[in-house]
Amino acid sequence: MAIVESRPDKASGRTLSPAALVPARVRLPFHRRRQAFLVLLGAPALIYVLLVAIWPLARGVAYSFYDYNLLRPARTAFVGFGNYSALWANEAARASIETTAIFTVAAVAVEFGLGLGLALLLWRDSAFQRACLALLLIPVTVTPIAVGLIFRALLAPDYGLIGYYLASFGLSGPRGLLGDPNTALPTLIAVDAWQWTPFMALILLAGLKSLPSEALEAAEVDGANALQRLRLVILPMLRPAVFLALVLRTMDAFRIFDIVFSTTNGGPADATNVLMIYAVKQGLEFFNIGFASAVANLMIVCIAIFSVAFILLVRRADKEANAS
Amino acid sequence: MSREPSASALLAERAALAVILAVFLAPIAWLISTAYKPARDIFNIPPTLSFTPTLTNFVNVFRYFDLARLIESSLIISLGATALSLLIGAPAGYALARARSKWAIGLAYFFLAVRTVPPVATLLPFYLMMRDIGLLGTWGAVILIDATLNTAFVVWMMFSYFRTLPRELEEAALVDGCSLPGGFLRVALPLVKPGLVASALLCVMFAWNDFLYSSFLTRAESKPISVALLTAYGTKDISWGTLGALAHFSTLPIVAIALLLNRYFVQGLTRGTH
Repeated sequence: MAIVESRPDKASGRTLSPAALVPARVRLPFHRRRQAFLVLLGAPALIYVLLVAIWPLARGVAYSFYDYNLLRPARTAFVGFGNYSALWANEAARASIETTAIFTVAAVAVEFGLGLGLALLLWRDSAFQRACLALLLIPVTVTPIAVGLIFRALLAPDYGLIGYYLASFGLSGPRGLLGDPNTALPTLIAVDAWQWTPFMALILLAGLKSLPSEALEAAEVDGANALQRLRLVILPMLRPAVFLALVLRTMDAFRIFDIVFSTTNGGPADATNVLMIYAVKQGLEFFNIGFASAVANLMIVCIAIFSVAFILLVRRADKEANAS
Repeated sequence: MSREPSASALLAERAALAVILAVFLAPIAWLISTAYKPARDIFNIPPTLSFTPTLTNFVNVFRYFDLARLIESSLIISLGATALSLLIGAPAGYALARARSKWAIGLAYFFLAVRTVPPVATLLPFYLMMRDIGLLGTWGAVILIDATLNTAFVVWMMFSYFRTLPRELEEAALVDGCSLPGGFLRVALPLVKPGLVASALLCVMFAWNDFLYSSFLTRAESKPISVALLTAYGTKDISWGTLGALAHFSTLPIVAIALLLNRYFVQGLTRGTH
């Protein structure tokens, strides 16, 4: 490369910079530079997630094809889909899938019903309603482990503020609501609803507040009563918020762990043994890494199927809305 | 909602809300009050609401727990994970919002999908990875894994904020001689401050309240307060009162922050859909 010296130009008496002497400095066009800049900004997050989330997930997929137990690593062997067929044949695993499904559907349904009612009550824009919303969101912020412990204490049949009276009036068995296989799961659904109904209400409320007021007023002028307005006008228009709320809560309820861990830890008699509890016990208590990975991957497949189904549903709803 | 509700309808609405509010807040009130109850009042049969207030439970918390250490662990983990997530997540959100490529929206959905992964699926292999590189039991391990979900959350959240800013803002600045990094740092970033605050708040909350990752990736000397909460129950000498007192340091600070920054908290919940 030619060395260009900067020297005084005798004719003009000015100093020429090296750049001025190199006729066309190699410079990328602006849109290329911007593209490179954006890639540079996005790359760290992408690389990070690939390394710390996707790489472990890939290894989890690999583990699931091995009989791999940390307690006897010497006996590690490739078993193909062996862990998956064992999962399917395993009574406890099948029961766990069923428990998780029941918990998820019931919790989301309860939270949706209560959340919608709550959102309608909070709809009016007043200082009272705003204060209520702020205070109602407190359960969302409480450490889930603490939520479990609070209700475990309150529901204890021997000294709990609620549990004692339930037991003494015969409304619960002597072991309390959480200690009885028949009532443990419904109780956990109620506890989950306590923590997450306000969140459901918040998402639905955001949807309600974005509804066009003209349509609501028109319905009122037409003499529709409150229930008709809700069913025929509000709910159809609220569909995007309803979808969002249901999807968010379904994903989270499906992955419930903390509350169950700190109340029943899967018991009594496996009545609350949801998939997260099952997988964590298999993996980090019995160190049955291969089998636990298969359970975890099953959960991912369920979530993926659910996500795709949801996207298709939303697309169809959009098409219908556009067609009408 | 009707324009002029009758006074009785309004009253009924408020009464209903007040009752609901009481139901949702009663367990928190119990948690707080139990910290000031002597053991014999907690285990009263039949249980009562009245008690002679005492600070014994707080004394016990200090006796049984190295509280300073627990809070230090929780602070380091949650602030570390939050700083890391914001540092790499916010620029990525900007890049995705400004990229004209059709890959951008796909990538945004990829980050969203990462957040739906059940924690156990990453935790098992991550646990073994950390064991192999000798990070098991350290704060670093928890920060790393907390920051995956948090980064994915921040990317999506900031993507939604940056998307609402008109491109013309930075383009005008560029014409005026501003550099590309300047356009991001000095023009766009200050305009999404609410988004940054909301992201930070939810990241801190998530990492502070996390139990599963911390309980398996930390040791006794590096465990955060959320893990101690459960051991508080397991130990024999410790009563619900101690748990209530401990919750004053583990749970109530987050509740207080969320109440103080309520506007940002609501934004984070509705827009970022954590």
